[in-house]
Amino acid sequence: MGGATDDGASAVMEGGPEPMSKNALKKLEKAKKAAEEKRAKEEVKKAAAAAAPKKAVKAQQAEDDEDMDPTQYRNNRLRALGEQKEKMKNPYPHKFHTSISIPDYIKEFGSLADGDHLEDKAVSVAGRVMSKRASGGKLMFYDLHADGLKIQVIAQSNYASVSEEDFAKTHASVKRGDIVGINGFPGKSKKGELSIFVKSIELLSYCLHMLPKTYAKGGKDHAEKSLEKKLSEVAIDSEDNKVAEQWHPGASRNLDRYVLKDQETRYRQRYLDLMLNSDIRNVFKTRSQVIRYVRRFLDDRDFVEVETPMMNMIAGGAAAKPFKTHHNDLNMDLFMRIAPELYLKELIVGGLDRVYEIGKQFRNEGIDLTHNPEFTTCEFYWAYADYDDLMRVTEEMLSGMVKEITGGYKIQYHSNGLDQPAIEIDFTPPFRRIDMIKGLEEYSEGKIKLPESLELLESPEVNKYLIEACEKFDVKCPPPQTTTRLLDKLVGHFIEEQCVNPTFIMHHPQIMSPLAKWHRSIPGLTERFELFVNKHEVCNAYTELNDPVVQRERFADQVKDREKGDDEAMAIDENFCIALEYGLPPTAGWGMGIDRFTMMLTDSQNIKEVLLFPAMKPHEDVIEPPVRAADDVAS
Amino acid sequence: MALGRHICFAKSSACLSSPSLSFLSTAAHFLQPPNLFFSHKSVKSPLAMLARVSHVARFPGFRRCERSLLHSIRCNASSSAPQTSEKPESKNSRNPRVSEGGRRKKSAEVDSTSSREDIRTLRLKKVEDLRAGGFEPYGYTWDRTHTAAELQKQYVDLPSATEANEEKDHVAVAGRIIARRVFGKLAFLTMRDDSGDIQLYCEKAKLTDEAFDQLKTLMDIGDFIGAKGTMKRTEKGELSVLVGELSILTKSLLPLPDKWHGLTDVEKRYRQRYVDMIMNPDVATVFRDRAKIISEIRRHMESLGYLEIETPVLQGEAGGADARPFVTHHNALGQDMYLRIATELHLKRMVVGGFERVYEIGRIFRNEGISTRHNPEFTSIELYQAYADYDDMMNLAEEIVEKCALTVNGSLSLTYQGTEISLQRPWKRASMHSLVEEVTGINFASFGDDIEAAKNAAVSFFAGHIERHDTGTILKAPSIGHLVNEVFEMVVEKTLIQPTFVMDHPVEISPLAKPHRRYAYQ
Repeated sequence: MGGATDDGASAVMEGGPEPMSKNALKKLEKAKKAAEEKRAKEEVKKAAAAAAPKKAVKAQQAEDDEDMDPTQYRNNRLRALGEQKEKMKNPYPHKFHTSISIPDYIKEFGSLADGDHLEDKAVSVAGRVMSKRASGGKLMFYDLHADGLKIQVIAQSNYASVSEEDFAKTHASVKRGDIVGINGFPGKSKKGELSIFVKSIELLSYCLHMLPKTYAKGGKDHAEKSLEKKLSEVAIDSEDNKVAEQWHPGASRNLDRYVLKDQETRYRQRYLDLMLNSDIRNVFKTRSQVIRYVRRFLDDRDFVEVETPMMNMIAGGAAAKPFKTHHNDLNMDLFMRIAPELYLKELIVGGLDRVYEIGKQFRNEGIDLTHNPEFTTCEFYWAYADYDDLMRVTEEMLSGMVKEITGGYKIQYHSNGLDQPAIEIDFTPPFRRIDMIKGLEEYSEGKIKLPESLELLESPEVNKYLIEACEKFDVKCPPPQTTTRLLDKLVGHFIEEQCVNPTFIMHHPQIMSPLAKWHRSIPGLTERFELFVNKHEVCNAYTELNDPVVQRERFADQVKDREKGDDEAMAIDENFCIALEYGLPPTAGWGMGIDRFTMMLTDSQNIKEVLLFPAMKPHEDVIEPPVRAADDVAS
Repeated sequence: MALGRHICFAKSSACLSSPSLSFLSTAAHFLQPPNLFFSHKSVKSPLAMLARVSHVARFPGFRRCERSLLHSIRCNASSSAPQTSEKPESKNSRNPRVSEGGRRKKSAEVDSTSSREDIRTLRLKKVEDLRAGGFEPYGYTWDRTHTAAELQKQYVDLPSATEANEEKDHVAVAGRIIARRVFGKLAFLTMRDDSGDIQLYCEKAKLTDEAFDQLKTLMDIGDFIGAKGTMKRTEKGELSVLVGELSILTKSLLPLPDKWHGLTDVEKRYRQRYVDMIMNPDVATVFRDRAKIISEIRRHMESLGYLEIETPVLQGEAGGADARPFVTHHNALGQDMYLRIATELHLKRMVVGGFERVYEIGRIFRNEGISTRHNPEFTSIELYQAYADYDDMMNLAEEIVEKCALTVNGSLSLTYQGTEISLQRPWKRASMHSLVEEVTGINFASFGDDIEAAKNAAVSFFAGHIERHDTGTILKAPSIGHLVNEVFEMVVEKTLIQPTFVMDHPVEISPLAKPHRRYAYQ
């Protein structure tokens, strides 16, 4: 099904009907807590200043780095690199053998008692240094991050296999952001923090840029936190190895808490976003889980995954502006696909009874909160099934997926913007079903009435009536005001607004659905449905039109709409019509926008949040490292 | 690691220690890094090899429309012998069961026209007739209980000339009619579905008069039908559904080719893949195997903790390999964009971001000529693993290919275009320099920086060689590294038949690979 993701962008984000939800309460509490923590932090700061005024002589070095001009910082590091090379030392080792991953390390040694050391156990780990603090010249602490988790690194000169002088030198060369490999042994600090005690440390890759500071829970600085611990001997909770408060799919995300907030930087340099904002990793894991679930769901039902061409002579299967390119060798213009629908149906003609494709589609349209020029869809086609079967399968797939990924059927979503409380979206099956034409009448409270005989929808009278209706209800429909477009806008206004929890809007008129089969018992309508969640289209599906004669007529109608100026009407694909003449068995077809569905599960209001590398406006400036991005949090 | 070709960039992956690996899964050229070679005949992707075919792209190339397809079909039809359209079976039928005792009446129920356009008209009339009789010739759904293969398996022990008609033997099947023989009160249809073929045994006595009449007059080869009935094995030993109810699910308008020209009409096979698939069930097997291979790779990657991600196809600049990109234009941004030629640079950024093991299986686009080994769009996998090196990648490559071979073929040896290939591990690992030396006897490392001496050595090797080569490219080589690569492509590639890792490419042709540890800062 093409067009699975085309509409709905215009759906207005209006205030939901929830005055004071659980979330709002939670938020209030959180704010209170944060204020308290801030006060506590300040007290700790004062105490620290009083208790250890000279402690940070060595640490001064690190702080100086942080204050340095970014260009100077980078030059200093490049100089250090150069010195290594001059000494014929390889600053980028070819291989560091890790004996254990950080998650496994935590699993294996997390249960050690406070103060326990396993000096005979040799381990080697690697990761990125995200914080560094010195306690005198002979003791260093690092936080080592990998796989979304962290452990503490304790370097004491008496454990090290080098001289004290070398020890100091080595550790002075390690900066925050560097990738290091560590050989050592496991243990827990007296305060109960799982650590690795360093025997030797090797710098594996330099971070030439200054990273913005990172903070643990609630914006607390690690250094301060450890001081705080020292002072108050707080019991350590088991969450300690998590990089920060963990976000889970289905929960609401708090972007205010991010270390790196600048959107431009987050999207243009996603790796910084991933390094600094701990939720992001999980957002993209969730995306991967969504795709994996769909794939497994279909594989389990004997669907075959196929790949159809992304470049075609004609961009068919949906209504959208395509990208055009040129094949030099064949000297031929080509279009990037806007939907795989027609090819997949040709495969059903060829006898592959159940096929699907998960892949990129391309539409040459504006970029906004729900549109990216390339996006990922899943379409599947199923011989001998119809749209009833599809609704059942849709419910099963989506509710099952939400349950598996989030742990329940209900998710939190900031439907009305981040400054408003999150709403709850409930995926418990079965989903609500609204008949499009009846629904239009019902939700307009009888003010819109379409002719009894829906075959008359194409008449000029109906068109006129709909233009008037749009004016009356202040529904904008820019020209061309074809009946199809007018209906679409009215449905958007009256019905889609009702669809916060998953809702099937079904039985679209034939004129809106050139590839769907006419309804077996209601003339003028098709056996089609769209699934709306949070007022946005997520799925589009129908019993496939397989009568080649009727298909040609429908294409011809689309061409007429095109001539009226609707350049989103479909082009005729003669090759596809010929395939239909060889016989397409009764078939049901289904499409879903992966990005938009992932947005729901990750509480994302912008499609860019779920694309690792979203399309961005051309950027002429040289990318500067966002050194100061977190200053507002720090102060 | 992106895939490369010719003198390139990614292909070379020389002295590589960058922990990355990539495969082509269609229309392959080379595998790498380190380059992995399989067969000299044409360097194929493992997928093509496993599938034992040379064409694994589903819709290769493009479908040009300058000539209307219909037109070309007509040309074909008129240039072939008349009465080719609707014979119940053809000599090359892959299914001997169709013939039911060889009593077939040649062209008895042929539509008696030679023109496809006439057949189309005739069948459109049948569509009308069906509708006039209250039957929808394009059905909505059909609940089938069994596929053909399931029935063949379930009733494998049913003896000849026996019926099974208990409650549990009531079945419903659906598929396309691929052969049809009608006698006075008896008709045999061969029905093909996704899984295989089954015969439908239609007795007038068991059907309504109307249904049998429909079968005789309105049903054609190529139509989709649904049938319900019980099971029977004929005296000839053919398992059949003894039909009690029959409906047309989709009326086809164009006749199936009675004899698909298969390999000889390659052009048509690719343009109308679905017809190829209807006529040759083996074709579908290739695509099922393709799906299995990709699925197996995914499963393996997941089991190793790799995360699958998607990086953009449309890019501001096309990097990560050396190939001509497709250019397009984004209207809203007012910006030219390129279709990716590799996924390398974006994936590596994700390793910077902290995803220590990432991969992407996806489409790559190169604006180059189309050949038996090149399609403008093809699928590759690239994977990146932090803290690993090229030795780890070679092991992983062996593992992946081994798993795929076992999944698809159940065996580690295969015959590809007449050559026995063993995928048994470990595979040969050799440096590009040593492979070149093996064939030419020249140790190019011994020339130091003296490129002229190296070129002379190469030219004199070719001069004394039986096969004449154009040495122009050799003389043009800007460095010894390029020269070694050139000689490698000219004389070594074709000797690499069994899986071989070509390692340690010259640094000059490997801009994204790390200098070999042996020579780095020592």
